Amino acid sequence: MSQTFPISVTVNGKVYNREVEPRLLLSDFLRHDLGLIGTHVGCEHGICGACTILFDGEPVRSCLIFAVQANGHEIRTVESLGTPDHLHPLQQSFKDKHALQCGFCTPGFLMTLVPFLEEHPNPSEDEIREAIDGNICRCTGYEKIVEAVEDAAAKLSQAK
Amino acid sequence: MKVEGEHLFKAPREVVYEMFNDPNALGAAVPGLQKMTKIDASHYEATLGIRVGPVSANFSGTLTLTDEVPPEKVTLIVEGKGGAGFVKGVGHVNFEDLGDKTTMMRYVGEANIGGTLASVGQRMIDSVSKSIFKTAFEKLDKILEERWQQK
Amino acid sequence: MTAKYLSQPIKRLEDKYLLTGNARYVDDIEVPGVLHAAFLRSDYAHAKINKIDVSEARKRPGVVAVFTAEDFGDFWKPGPLQVPPPTAIAGSKFNARTIVPIAKDKIRYSGEALAVVIAESRYIAEDAFDDIIVDVEPLPAVIDLEKAWEDTSVLVHDDLPSNMAALVSQEVGNYEEAKKNADVVVSKRMLVEHVAGAAMENRGFVAKWDEQDQQMTIWANTQSPLTVRGSVARNLGLAESQVRVITPYIGGGFGPKVMTSLSDDVLIPWIAKKLNRPIKWTEDRRENFLATTSERDQIHHCEIALKKDGTILGFKDVFYHNTGAYDSYGMTVPLNTQTHTISNYRVPNFYTEIRMVFTNTMVVTPVRGAGRSEGVFVMERMIDFAAKKLGMDPTELRLKNLLTAEEMPHKTGIIGQDFVANVLDSGDYLDNYQKCLKAVDYEKFRKEIQPKARKEGKRLGIGVVAFTEGTAVGPYEGCKVTISTNGKVTMATGYSTQGQGHQTVFAQIIADQLNVKVEDVKVITGDTGSFAWGAGTFASRGATLVGTASYLAAQKVRAKIFATASKAFGVPEDEIELGEGFVFVKGKPENKITLGDLAIKANPMRGVVEPGVEPGLEATAYYGPPHGATGSGALAVIVSVDPETYKVKVERFVMVDDCGTIINPLILDGQIDGGVSMGIGNTLYEKMVYDENGQMLTASFMDYLMPQATDMPKKIEIIHQHNKSPLNPLGIKGIGEAGAIPPGPAICQALEDAFSEIPLEILESNLNPSIIYDYVKKARNS
Repeated sequence: MSQTFPISVTVNGKVYNREVEPRLLLSDFLRHDLGLIGTHVGCEHGICGACTILFDGEPVRSCLIFAVQANGHEIRTVESLGTPDHLHPLQQSFKDKHALQCGFCTPGFLMTLVPFLEEHPNPSEDEIREAIDGNICRCTGYEKIVEAVEDAAAKLSQAK
Repeated sequence: MKVEGEHLFKAPREVVYEMFNDPNALGAAVPGLQKMTKIDASHYEATLGIRVGPVSANFSGTLTLTDEVPPEKVTLIVEGKGGAGFVKGVGHVNFEDLGDKTTMMRYVGEANIGGTLASVGQRMIDSVSKSIFKTAFEKLDKILEERWQQK
Repeated sequence: MTAKYLSQPIKRLEDKYLLTGNARYVDDIEVPGVLHAAFLRSDYAHAKINKIDVSEARKRPGVVAVFTAEDFGDFWKPGPLQVPPPTAIAGSKFNARTIVPIAKDKIRYSGEALAVVIAESRYIAEDAFDDIIVDVEPLPAVIDLEKAWEDTSVLVHDDLPSNMAALVSQEVGNYEEAKKNADVVVSKRMLVEHVAGAAMENRGFVAKWDEQDQQMTIWANTQSPLTVRGSVARNLGLAESQVRVITPYIGGGFGPKVMTSLSDDVLIPWIAKKLNRPIKWTEDRRENFLATTSERDQIHHCEIALKKDGTILGFKDVFYHNTGAYDSYGMTVPLNTQTHTISNYRVPNFYTEIRMVFTNTMVVTPVRGAGRSEGVFVMERMIDFAAKKLGMDPTELRLKNLLTAEEMPHKTGIIGQDFVANVLDSGDYLDNYQKCLKAVDYEKFRKEIQPKARKEGKRLGIGVVAFTEGTAVGPYEGCKVTISTNGKVTMATGYSTQGQGHQTVFAQIIADQLNVKVEDVKVITGDTGSFAWGAGTFASRGATLVGTASYLAAQKVRAKIFATASKAFGVPEDEIELGEGFVFVKGKPENKITLGDLAIKANPMRGVVEPGVEPGLEATAYYGPPHGATGSGALAVIVSVDPETYKVKVERFVMVDDCGTIINPLILDGQIDGGVSMGIGNTLYEKMVYDENGQMLTASFMDYLMPQATDMPKKIEIIHQHNKSPLNPLGIKGIGEAGAIPPGPAICQALEDAFSEIPLEILESNLNPSIIYDYVKKARNS
């Protein structure tokens, strides 16, 4: 299958014009064509949530979308949050509360939680658990992730 | 996997049995059947496109009819292979003449499924196969109705 | 010695990279000119191969090469025994049938590799599967462990008389004699079901051959980089120094990533060298379920003999252990089961027999818990059944038999995975249990909470169990600590890391010894180019073995600091003081030499050095314990059962754990939490299912249910005990698997308690609402 289609996608504020095969997954496009390796692929069938990105602001599974479907849309990946020396408040809370171990699922959690915290500035524990129920973490048992989200929510609402 | 069921056809047994020996009728009835070729009186070759949950693939295989006692009963042996695995099944089909120009078809069989179809699609296979049977019987009822009325 | 960092909740140094997409995992490694590998895997579990025709696949545009077993010629051979059999156990029988890299003549499990396609992209490589014609003759599959053991079974390996992979019996005391004095004997058959490690990152492998330098560079997410280096070198006839294995960040291990000599690490280096092109392979989730190792899967026939007063006289356990189609990984798992079955209680007479069976399933190797879970499960269950028969409270029976601090060190006499007789080195198991009962307020639950809930129509149950966690086994690990001329410290170890926080905990130990800031210690794990000795990440041994080696190496460097400073200042060593990052003469802090400058002085460029002086502020140390250090603990759970759906909710989860000295309490609790989620997952959600034809029916996260955030208890309450191990200078014991061990038996006990009015007996480890419903229905009808 060698036919390609031109796409224009805005990723983390930058416009990329590329030629892609129609079957190329958005996750592969981000990771291997654009080199944005922070988006991880854990199951390739939309269950684990590691590949979650923001598609026009909505969290979606990039392993279930073709790159061509992103044509004309705006994507945000974990690379759009903080940098190693200037962490986003949510990233800082993840670090402070030990909410990550191997780190593989973490970008997916962060991209699920960024819009969640915008909509739920003071979430209850149950709301947090519901929000991350579509993201699987094998290392932490989730408790410290919940604590990190509570911590971040408190910090973010204070900053407002 | 066990396959079992029955269906009441509104036509005499001979007509029903004849329909089951007609690749065109079967071909039209089975959803996803792309091609069905009669090799000889008891062998068919077929290509089938099937979708089971996340698995969608083409299968090619053979259908063999054995132990035929027209128009009473027949045993069907299905062997199919494709990119998504394999299916091997044996089905015993009985046609009972109910005397009122209707025929009760009863079938019981065992199917072995392997490969991706089993490892990823297993949970849905039962309901998919039920839905295939349902669609096929609805279609066959229609075909039968047309044929029976023509006679 | 100051301990500024040890035992402190230091936030992890590695997190800032992991959180921002700046950590490179194996699939993130981009090598110019790379080709992609994909394995065509068998749909059949057991079959004779007639022919695999790849001629059409080779013609597909974008396909560079396709190989079947035949194409590898003499290179194809069964792999090595990665873990040797327990020859230390007298009379043990072991039939080695090691894993082959790609099926030849016969297929022995569904998912076994049949062909490998090398193409310009992974997409094209998988397209080519459609072009490959596989002609096989299916054979009946060997799946049922007990039937497989029979002489009449179909054979997995035709050259063996049966499917026996091993037969190992061990006995302390004399069970049958002890049984004669028993007032009560209980016998049960129990299943411990099959589960996946299911790390979020699948396996991956990249190999690059440099023809000019004659060097092979490998990036792999292995728990065992040095084993991979050794086997790649041996397979290709290279010196170990010609192979460098780099483990990048690894997305979880949990055991299965320790297995080597699989299709990828055997075939891909050979292909990379032959084609002189870098090759990358990334496993997908279905492959991970089918063709990466997994664990548990045992059937136990247990018997316990007791006096009327509850004193345990003896225990007998004959169990079938599934090794899968091959047994390259020896007997680590069932030996762990043997050692852990009696590791909590005074059991003077114990007979244990492993019947390790070949089946048409993928190979079984450790998954977090690793045989310990099984041993603890059956012992704890049997104690519950015995308590019922004796009319005792299950906690009372335990309190009577648990080992105490006075009995430590306690020799159980059972030879374990490290091939030495097990010694429980430290701890107070009775105290663990008592603290746990108190923390959960057992009395109050029995007298107030449970009766009140019953009145309100709610089913609540409590379970309190004890466990041990044999950790930190040999042979050894090591590391090298270096102070650079910029004053920063580098530590390199062959041990690879999968999220345990090694970059932080080893840095803490070293920073204390060298009096530097913890963030100034960079830890390099699992790069054989930096450190090339060690055995691998398994058996919760990193903190203890590498931690102790870090301590010892840092102490050596510290001695060099004092020796070099003494010479530089011209004063005796005892007049030197080590400040944070510098040295000075006591009382004269204004005249200091930084550690960086001292490192320059320790490496003179001209002149002479005294005999015996080694250059640099650098030292290497190794640590190997005489036997493992055993952690211990107790777990109390309170569960509720929905009367309509039989969904189980863990309402309270109180765990007491003793892992000796705590290096980092933040990371420690994280290790426990993660283990717990696996333990709860195994008990209430997860199960790998093979059908009778050897087809795995659960090869995706749609069917293999991973515990999610709403499935976990809201709070995992942890109480730490601090009984130091006498085996190493810091008193450390491992913790990696503790959480995964006791949830199964605790939840089973609690479920039976929730239905205490009926004779409910749960005899298997992995439950779900419909299984529980069936048990309850059966108990109601009996």
